Amino acid sequence: MIVLEMFMLVILAFIIGMFFLGLSRKIMARIQWRFGPPITQPVIDIIKLFNQDSISHGLLFNFGIILSLAGSIVMVFFLPMGGMCPMSSSGGMLVILYIMLLGPLGLALSGGEAANPNISIGISRKFILALGYEVPLLLIFLAVMTHYGTISIVEIVKMQSANLWSFASLPLLLSGIAYLLILPALLGERPFELIKAPQEIASGPMTEYGGKFLALVTLQHAFHTFVGISLFVNLFLGGASNPGYFFLKMLVVFILLIFVNAVFPRFRIDQAIKYLWKWPTLLAFIGLIIVVIVD
Amino acid sequence: MDRNQLTKWLKSPSNMGHKYSLDVVYFCTGCGIIEIPPSITARWDAERFGVKPVATPRQANLFLITGYVSVKTLKAIIRTYEQMQEPKFAVGFGSCPINGGMYWDSYNTVNHLDKYIPIDGWIAGCMPRPEAIFVAVTHLWTLIDKEIADGYKRYRDKYKYYRANQEKVLGELEWPPLFPEDDKK
Repeated sequence: MIVLEMFMLVILAFIIGMFFLGLSRKIMARIQWRFGPPITQPVIDIIKLFNQDSISHGLLFNFGIILSLAGSIVMVFFLPMGGMCPMSSSGGMLVILYIMLLGPLGLALSGGEAANPNISIGISRKFILALGYEVPLLLIFLAVMTHYGTISIVEIVKMQSANLWSFASLPLLLSGIAYLLILPALLGERPFELIKAPQEIASGPMTEYGGKFLALVTLQHAFHTFVGISLFVNLFLGGASNPGYFFLKMLVVFILLIFVNAVFPRFRIDQAIKYLWKWPTLLAFIGLIIVVIVD
Repeated sequence: MDRNQLTKWLKSPSNMGHKYSLDVVYFCTGCGIIEIPPSITARWDAERFGVKPVATPRQANLFLITGYVSVKTLKAIIRTYEQMQEPKFAVGFGSCPINGGMYWDSYNTVNHLDKYIPIDGWIAGCMPRPEAIFVAVTHLWTLIDKEIADGYKRYRDKYKYYRANQEKVLGELEWPPLFPEDDKK
């Protein structure tokens, strides 16, 4: 039964992640007064990329990208989606905090093998950015854990359905806003698109990926988008009782993210760190203090 | 456009994928590049055909050479073409890559690009309008459908001929052959 649920969850996460990628391209196009590609364009891209030749630079080049994808897929198991929660019976948040770094780490291992200067710049930016958003993320997690007195996401969702959403209740409001502020950095969207930045460093860590490798990177991005938004919905918007309602909540958050993505230019890496360590960290810290005082 | 016909997708997913997802590396050699920004932005919007610019040749499968080809640029063109992953398509844009155009008697331009890399199609004109790019893309679709957009196969089969031509213009090449002779046998 658990195995079946896990399969279901991965397939659902894949479909929702790909749908989000297509939707983001469509909405971006409409905002820029274009007609835009069909909403299935990412799927077409994936089909094409799997049918294309690809060149490998060594053993680590192959395994790093698989590690990165596996890290993102494993995180899906620990996030309850609607009623489904195959592996998140206890201690979900700590596991997610650990595995979240596997994505950048796998890409770094893989890119290091290719020895391309653009990749090194992209990877170093990715890790510096991770350093930037991990600090507020840790404070947010601490505030949520302290408020509910548990590290299990299932328990947190249950308590929220009994009372208010934590985004609507006062002690966790500031933490929720801080999470929304770091969400673009977490997913690598604008204004934190500096990891890829095709115009300056030739798409950064993805420079040497072609064919099947690029398909795996796209899949990893789809799963990672799903995980980042699903975490917000679970922690702050009260989860949901069925997958359909859960998807609706995710859609609202994602469209908000795309609007921000469409209108903002790119930060430089120093500006990004300055921003991330100033406003979201400040809000998350005040939120943590409020939680400690109130409880 | 048969992008939404599911039966065709099930019949040959690879062909349909290559047709409707063309990632282009625009090679900015000359004045032709000025026609690319309007064609990929709001006025003509190439993305509705699935044509999208990418930053590196590794991710691309369509190579658009825009403008005259000088001897120095030819070196970069060959390297870019060889870095792309098969199946790959190359299209010459403007009259200069076809036969030299207005630079036909210049001392440092290459007159016939298809002697050095295989070209799947040409867009004639000086300059072609952005609409011509879309005509070329739809034409490339029919070529892919009939499986006669096989420039990359020609490059593999007649590599000796292309390499000899390249060496005639550029002298000794700095990189090893893409398809060494010993591998074939």
